[in-house]
Amino acid sequence: MRGFLRERWDLVTLGVLAAAPLVVPALGGALGGQVTTLFIYCILALGLNVMVGYTGLVHLGIAAFFGIGAYLMAILTVPMYPFQVGWLAAAVISVMATAGVGLALGAPTLRLRGDYLAIVTLGFGEVVKVTLRNLEQITGGMKGLNPVPPPGAGVKLGGLDLGLAFAVDPRWFYYLSLAALAGVVVAMRRLEHSRLGRAWVAVREDELAASAMGISATRVKLSAFAMSSAVAGLAGCLYAGSLSTTADPNAYDFNRSIMVLCAVILGGLGSIPGTLLGVAILVGFDTVLAPWADSWIQQMNINPSGSSLLSFSGWRLAIFGLALVLVMRFRPEGLVPSRRLAAELHEAHP
Amino acid sequence: MRRRISTPDQLIGLLIACLSVAVAGCRPADPSVVKIVSSLPRTGSAKQQSDTIVGGIRMAIEEAGGTVGPFRVEYLDLDDSTAAAGQWTSEAEAANARRALQDPDVVAYIGTFNSGAAKVSMPILNLGDLLMVSPANTAVGLTKPGLGAPGEPEVYRPTGRLNYTRVVPADDLQGPLSADWAKKRGVKKVYILDDNEVYGKGIADLFDERCREIGIEVLGHDSIDAKAQEFKSLMASVKAAGPDLVYFGGTTQSKGGQLAKDMASAGIHAMFMVPDGCREQVFIDSAGAANLEGRCFVTFGGLPPEKLTGKGAEFVERYRKKHGELPEAYAVYGYEAACVALRAIRDAGVKDRRAISDAALALRDFDGALGDWGFDENGDTTMKTLTVSVVRGGKFEFEEVLDANAVGEGGEKR
Amino acid sequence: MQFFLQQCLIGLTNGALIALVALGYTMVYGIIGLINFAHGDLIMLGACLALSLVAALGIGVADAGGMAAVGPAGTWLGIALLVGLCGLFCGGLNVAVDRIVYKPLRTAPKLAPLVSAIGVSFIFMNVGLFWLGPADRSFPELLPAANLLPGDGLQFTWKDLLVVLVVGPLMVALSLLVRTTKLGKAMRAVSQDQTAAALVGIDVDRVIAATFFIGGFLGGAASVIYGLYINTIGFQMGFQNGLYAFTAAVLGGIGSIPGAVVGGIVIGLVRALSSAYVGERWAGAIVFAILIVILVFRPEGLLGRRTKEKV
Repeated sequence: MRGFLRERWDLVTLGVLAAAPLVVPALGGALGGQVTTLFIYCILALGLNVMVGYTGLVHLGIAAFFGIGAYLMAILTVPMYPFQVGWLAAAVISVMATAGVGLALGAPTLRLRGDYLAIVTLGFGEVVKVTLRNLEQITGGMKGLNPVPPPGAGVKLGGLDLGLAFAVDPRWFYYLSLAALAGVVVAMRRLEHSRLGRAWVAVREDELAASAMGISATRVKLSAFAMSSAVAGLAGCLYAGSLSTTADPNAYDFNRSIMVLCAVILGGLGSIPGTLLGVAILVGFDTVLAPWADSWIQQMNINPSGSSLLSFSGWRLAIFGLALVLVMRFRPEGLVPSRRLAAELHEAHP
Repeated sequence: MRRRISTPDQLIGLLIACLSVAVAGCRPADPSVVKIVSSLPRTGSAKQQSDTIVGGIRMAIEEAGGTVGPFRVEYLDLDDSTAAAGQWTSEAEAANARRALQDPDVVAYIGTFNSGAAKVSMPILNLGDLLMVSPANTAVGLTKPGLGAPGEPEVYRPTGRLNYTRVVPADDLQGPLSADWAKKRGVKKVYILDDNEVYGKGIADLFDERCREIGIEVLGHDSIDAKAQEFKSLMASVKAAGPDLVYFGGTTQSKGGQLAKDMASAGIHAMFMVPDGCREQVFIDSAGAANLEGRCFVTFGGLPPEKLTGKGAEFVERYRKKHGELPEAYAVYGYEAACVALRAIRDAGVKDRRAISDAALALRDFDGALGDWGFDENGDTTMKTLTVSVVRGGKFEFEEVLDANAVGEGGEKR
Repeated sequence: MQFFLQQCLIGLTNGALIALVALGYTMVYGIIGLINFAHGDLIMLGACLALSLVAALGIGVADAGGMAAVGPAGTWLGIALLVGLCGLFCGGLNVAVDRIVYKPLRTAPKLAPLVSAIGVSFIFMNVGLFWLGPADRSFPELLPAANLLPGDGLQFTWKDLLVVLVVGPLMVALSLLVRTTKLGKAMRAVSQDQTAAALVGIDVDRVIAATFFIGGFLGGAASVIYGLYINTIGFQMGFQNGLYAFTAAVLGGIGSIPGAVVGGIVIGLVRALSSAYVGERWAGAIVFAILIVILVFRPEGLLGRRTKEKV
């Protein structure tokens, strides 16, 4: 039994998550919405992992691509615009377009060395945020674009209005995001062991050596850029769909990029289970655990005066920060390091 | 080599922990309990204001003896801001709305504070017919057909039924009235700034529009980045334009105080006018009282706490006794919102969300802390009192009541 | 023309302040290759201390004339004292954080200290939240608002002068320190090759600690200037502060001291001029767009050295 768990953790996790909303009523409801968001961040983090984990390029602006995906999705579907294409088509188009934007940013900047590239992505993130905010005629400014119709709006499946079902019952989006996440995990695994995936790692390890072996470093890095943007764009589509709005541009700011980057590094660079665990801990802490703890404190009437010293949210930042520091201190390679990275580290420092 | 906990154990452990939290978190509905939740920014600089709103809500429930009709009232104070963002976020607001919707005991949702947040939660709560009473939303598009963006307010009502009400007058009064007031004070040229947010930009646009209608010259209209730290070069531009009055559509949280400071240090002697989003003591503290003295005018939908009469004055007195200080301007709106919710539950008499929403929307004549008022067919308050205060001696000082009816007509003409 | 000059003056003053913060980034980066994300929040804590000190020492109490009650000499002395105390505090704190958090990670993967720095920045923010409260706080005006330039046109007040007066000498002193002293030589050696430096008898840990102290000290000085110049502090001020300063450091060529200064001034000027001629709403985006363009054409920053990679 233990051996099976160890080998097939992915299937077990998937099974538990798939069954959970049917067994635990709370998961079908409010918590379901939050867990859906969590799945979406997992997808975003897996996208970032392609750049930071596999290829070793520090990216501080992943939220910009997340945002571009969400806004493209909205532009293609909201009633304000004439397109109003179907959900699936809109998602495909916006993912492709987001990848295109990634290529356009990557092409001129890839010759920059590590931290300079990081600052370019950071700057790009700020430019995108300000542009989304200021181009009011196109993006709705701070209002954002809404309402993004639910997938399958108007489609009837044997008496069931699919669009309405998505809008009313959060479980539909829960399963959609879970399925998308599972799909991305499978795709990432295959990529990891493909020719391209191995080229990414080769470039990360030693760019010069890799090019001496006949790998075109530029092309490999560009493909990482495009892949990571595309996956982030997919996450953006799901995000806009699940909130039924793009939200305001502040949802795609530097904070978000940093949060996802921390999740990837905390979990373990280049490791799929690590990335998932990192997101589950960081985002789960902020969106699930902290609100829950706060309302528990309130219900128990521990803090009648409302002092922030006694509320959980008063300490949220410190707990968060301390967790990052401690994990990095005791497991600098991340919670679940990728096998390859761990092997290298232990070879270097026996 | 260090001992390493294996991947599956960690993931599965986490899963089990999450699930047990989820199981612990759900209890069956209790027929004798009704829950009221509020969703307000409880982290960041809006906390001071929202503290007093929550204080108002709690007082309303306490005064009702914690019961309404046959039900025991429970109250839950939710936060729609996160520490990381320092202000409200769409996600936190959406999560609060879903959480409220999913708990069968919840029958009223008091919130939001920010109009932008209301745009997120309104369509969600509408699906469950859950009554929403906002103590502070003033953006016009939330309720008023034809005044907001195309499609508003229908986009917030996917079921086509109404569930949203607000106890505060909307900006279609406040914006134009401020412009009329400026004209009366002899202002000929204005420079308009806003914070680029739903509320701030909305009211600045309305102010702008009205200025052009009544012949006040608009020298410039720019948006600031609420995360910027100083506005010295912006103020140099404002100074070069030479306005009589600088209008800022925004809140304390979106840097109203810093603008006043940089305006003073750039040597601009014009009047400074701000809407109700700045009507809190923190605004004066953050701007520095000396920089506002005698020249900063604040509009506010309703009477300031010290000018309230009747039930309102009683509330202010009780609040002062309990908390030892005067409430912020919005505390009484929190109190009033909670009173509306309690009254609606009593009128409906059953624990049914639709019935309670209908009971609230049917309130035509409510004798509350804000005076005699009711809801119109959009869920807007019929109250049209607007006041201007001036900052003097580090405090807001009541200046005058604006003639709401004269301008109210002007507002409807557009 | 006068308008243009005014905007340039504002840009230069703001730029000088950005540069002072950027020096803290560039020094730490130059020596251990760490982007010290907590630097902005360190400055925030320095500003908290400055605010508390102003209240405790009574230099913030202004009399009717707008001048501090302790008199002009007392005010300047007070400011000097504030700069010293906050500098020591931030320098010490920076060294302590290095000792506890970053030192054990010297051999860890490159991104581990980066995440730790982000964690430290969150912890600092929480401390600031308890210290200052959630709302922005006003920093008292200690300096008279009188214009130093003749006429009503150009504005250049005591506050602006203060920025230039403090930042200029500090930068000169820093360059001299790095270029001429023994410690400076050791710093340059450690930044080039830690192992080699250790081999020739340099106490690497000590040099790194000294660097953290100097960076922190400059940050502490910046926090006082910031409070006096911007007059608002809040627990979230570190972020934006850090963003511009870090950008300035990279723009100038990270690790280069004159580069940080040039980068800071370029950013200050670009921001002021784009606010004046394009609109305040685009100013932030233009700064970063220009940054990207500059880096595309000069990948090593304005004053950075081109490094050849070897196999």
